[in-house]
Amino acid sequence: MARTMDTLHRGLTQTKLKNSPRLWAGFAIPGTVWLIVLFAIPFYAVACIAFGTIDPIFRDAVPQWNPLSWDFVQARQIFSSLATGPLQGVAIRTVVYVVCAMSLSFVIGFPIAYFLARHAGKRKLLLLVLIIVPFWVNYLMRMLAWVNLLSVDGLFTRFMRIFGVNYNWLDGSPITVILGLVYGYIPFLILPLYATLERLDWRLVDAARDLGANSRQAFRLVTLPMSKAGLVAAGILIALPMFGDYYTNDLLSRSPSTEMIGNQIDFFLNASSQPQNGALLVLALSLFLLLFMSFYLRSTRQQTRQVTR
Amino acid sequence: MGRRDFLRNLAITSGAITFGGSLLAACGGSSSTESSGLSIGTPQNPVKLPVTTDAIADGLPNESGTLEILNWADYQNPESIAIFEEKFGCKVVTSIYDTEEAAIAKLRNGTFKPDLILGMTDTGLAKLIAADLLQPLNKSYIPNFGNVISGLRSPYYDLDSQYTVPYFVYGNGIGYRTDRIDKNAFAGNGYDTLWDSQFKGKVGVLDSYRDTLAMAMFRAGNFDANTADAAIIQKAGDDLVAMREATNPKVDILAYTEIPAGNRDINFTWSGDLFTALQYLPEGVAPDVLGFWYPEKTVAKNDFMCITKSAKSPVLAHQLINFLSDTDNALLNREYVGYQPALESITVDLLISSGTIPESLIDALVTPEKYEAGLAQVSLEPAVDALWLEQWTRFTAG
Amino acid sequence: MALTNQKYNSPLRFLIWGYIIWSLVPVLIAVIYSFNDGRSRTVWQGFSLRWWITDPYASIFRNDETRNAISNSLVLAFATILVVTPLGIALAIGSQRIRGRSANFVQGLTSTPLITPEIVVGAALLLTFTRLFTAVPLGFVAQLLGNVTFSLASVVVIVRARLVSIGASFEEAARDLGATRWQALRFVLLPMLWPSVMASLVVVFATVIDDFVITSFLSAGVSSETVPLRIYSSVRGGATPALNALATLLVLTSFAVLTIGLFGLSTWRKRHGERGGLRAALADVTQLNS
Repeated sequence: MARTMDTLHRGLTQTKLKNSPRLWAGFAIPGTVWLIVLFAIPFYAVACIAFGTIDPIFRDAVPQWNPLSWDFVQARQIFSSLATGPLQGVAIRTVVYVVCAMSLSFVIGFPIAYFLARHAGKRKLLLLVLIIVPFWVNYLMRMLAWVNLLSVDGLFTRFMRIFGVNYNWLDGSPITVILGLVYGYIPFLILPLYATLERLDWRLVDAARDLGANSRQAFRLVTLPMSKAGLVAAGILIALPMFGDYYTNDLLSRSPSTEMIGNQIDFFLNASSQPQNGALLVLALSLFLLLFMSFYLRSTRQQTRQVTR
Repeated sequence: MGRRDFLRNLAITSGAITFGGSLLAACGGSSSTESSGLSIGTPQNPVKLPVTTDAIADGLPNESGTLEILNWADYQNPESIAIFEEKFGCKVVTSIYDTEEAAIAKLRNGTFKPDLILGMTDTGLAKLIAADLLQPLNKSYIPNFGNVISGLRSPYYDLDSQYTVPYFVYGNGIGYRTDRIDKNAFAGNGYDTLWDSQFKGKVGVLDSYRDTLAMAMFRAGNFDANTADAAIIQKAGDDLVAMREATNPKVDILAYTEIPAGNRDINFTWSGDLFTALQYLPEGVAPDVLGFWYPEKTVAKNDFMCITKSAKSPVLAHQLINFLSDTDNALLNREYVGYQPALESITVDLLISSGTIPESLIDALVTPEKYEAGLAQVSLEPAVDALWLEQWTRFTAG
Repeated sequence: MALTNQKYNSPLRFLIWGYIIWSLVPVLIAVIYSFNDGRSRTVWQGFSLRWWITDPYASIFRNDETRNAISNSLVLAFATILVVTPLGIALAIGSQRIRGRSANFVQGLTSTPLITPEIVVGAALLLTFTRLFTAVPLGFVAQLLGNVTFSLASVVVIVRARLVSIGASFEEAARDLGATRWQALRFVLLPMLWPSVMASLVVVFATVIDDFVITSFLSAGVSSETVPLRIYSSVRGGATPALNALATLLVLTSFAVLTIGLFGLSTWRKRHGERGGLRAALADVTQLNS
């Protein structure tokens, strides 16, 4: 009797679901249309401007809406500039800064996330709250705090002078910018790392220990492989905005020798009469990041599929 | 014959102000304006700008409501503005721009929609006219126009002052800390100090491609600030890149806060900045730590006030121009801004006798001789402009 | 039970507290200096409220430009919430329940803004509003559209997580009892989504008032200046501790909204018999479960 009712119920449920798709599609349409109009189409507009022409008097970009008439002359110039020309320095520097900042963030952030995930104490909630707090403090405020501390008579500078370190922190120093990036983005790394590590099945690690592995082996052979996907995802999660960062350099340095690609985009679009170059750089940056973005999307889709199964 | 008379005579005999350096500025420089349709005035070829709109009618009442200004940062005295607001019963709102090109780009794409633009120079004027962004002035609202320096009442870039009224006068040079650098450091080719690696990390240059590239050209002995010579422009770019290696300069318009704060020892900047800097000196620091090297051959010019075509409060805009051209108001404005107002009665002597100028900054004052000897800096043809911008990108891209 | 190797406990503890101090102390110092009596942001000159309220020109609550920025920020945040919440809830429900290739497309389209750097989105929108959709003026309208686009994904993520944990069974039970689809939605599903709605209100509010890049790219001068824009442009000039005060106000507002949201969430949970309390509310809001 129970089994019949069960089958009947399941049948009814499936029927309901089959009858519903148009309703649910209807729900999804406004949001989807919004995103197409205000997210997807703007990328097309960027391409049309990047591959368009320039008004002779104002050097202003004139978009070319027909892809068949796209002009790639300026594109070739910018891409070669990025590869071997004047913009090569910025491009390389951006990659170097991001790699350094990410590595440092992992070195600091992973042990913290690990400790948090494994720590079974009453302090855990307190620690969690304290770690989450910077997540909610405005990025500019956190940079401003350091601008104050690092200025010529700032507290940190004065403190370091006691040890004889007489360094001009805000004078176009790559160290300051990289550390600034770390300070700014590390909260966005620690939380996803913690989430990944917390979800791990620690019994497998315990089992490995029981089977004779020491703690380092257990870590290397069990913990790390299990959490690899989450680590990579978390890394991508902070690398992407870091590649587009320009305000950290603007606040902490403002010297041409520490400019990132974001500064160039900001310059071309907001401070100069060469928006076409800006559009081209945006395109170049997007293409470069597409690799990371598609990887992240695929891995999250897998995760969602696992959850909804 | 006083300095004032000298300038007036010069203006009368030549019909427009000319610069002593104009002989040197004649080589290369801006060619004919036919190629692009831009109306570029030069000291040798002053231009009467085309007028396509009518100015507002006479005798209109002041608008109530808001007057929107577009200006540089810290380039107007909030106190003066407050007095104006009270006198005319209106509200004044100010948007800030950091560079001329950015301002022009944003005016064109509708980001900025001010009534009045302050601090623009003639390097941007041709584009503003070509983009049809300005309206001609109705001088009946500006009786104080008579206070403007006589030689500037019909400038080469805008004969008969159809669109513009001069605002401040200044010259390009190097501001420095007298407690870190001796003025003899500027004895030879003074510009070399910016390339001197002993000042690494304590150097600044203007975030203005025309001014800073021209400075590099002057250092190399090419005194045409409007050159179309690709080789000279390229070399200027190379030299700036070399500067970046040698001294890692900051590129912004903050000399007036950074020099007094002690963050910069030398900064290539506009002369007026050093007077603004007086207000930013920390407690207990004497004003004579501020010094200025005014090069023998440099750009000296004025900026101006102009009204946009789409102004919603044009009458108030005219009133503010008139207000700021009153001698007392200009002196009050100057107390905050520091620069020299372009008014006849505000002479160098007057400023010195007011006692507000420290000994070390006497050189930063722009006398009529210096102004007349200044090198011209005018709008460039778009193709030439592109060459300059290309080199600037090389420098700023790091 | 966690079995951390005891040997690593002390250095890890040291690291974590060291990190917390490094992370929070600079901000605390900046907050303290907002009460500085003098003009310096680095040298303590005594306690004063001048930058907050007493100075008639420079204090943040009396200075015209600052008040303008504060009001612009609040208006933008509330307007964004009004637009993005219904849009996001509908999109979350719809996209979670359709199947097939269109589902993948919608899923991808929704997730992409989350991982696109803001400068790319801001630049693309700036170029679009000035060359393609020129009817849209830069300033408040453009900033609203940009912020909605950027926050939409967050709302979808939060609501979808809740949808997944609710499942379809409650609605089906309602349908079994005779309710129409709409009634099931209105009276069963939506009320159960309430905590995620609350969480997304909090997240969107905080995101929008903190937003810098998109709001900056789409701004139109002083009339559409928000608090972060004002802070950014002030850091470069001769700024006073008023700047610290403004930044502190921003942080306090975020925290106030967060606290209200957290308590709202845990009260709701208690009242509706869901366990978890404060920790679950925290998880809702920081999306640690996603």
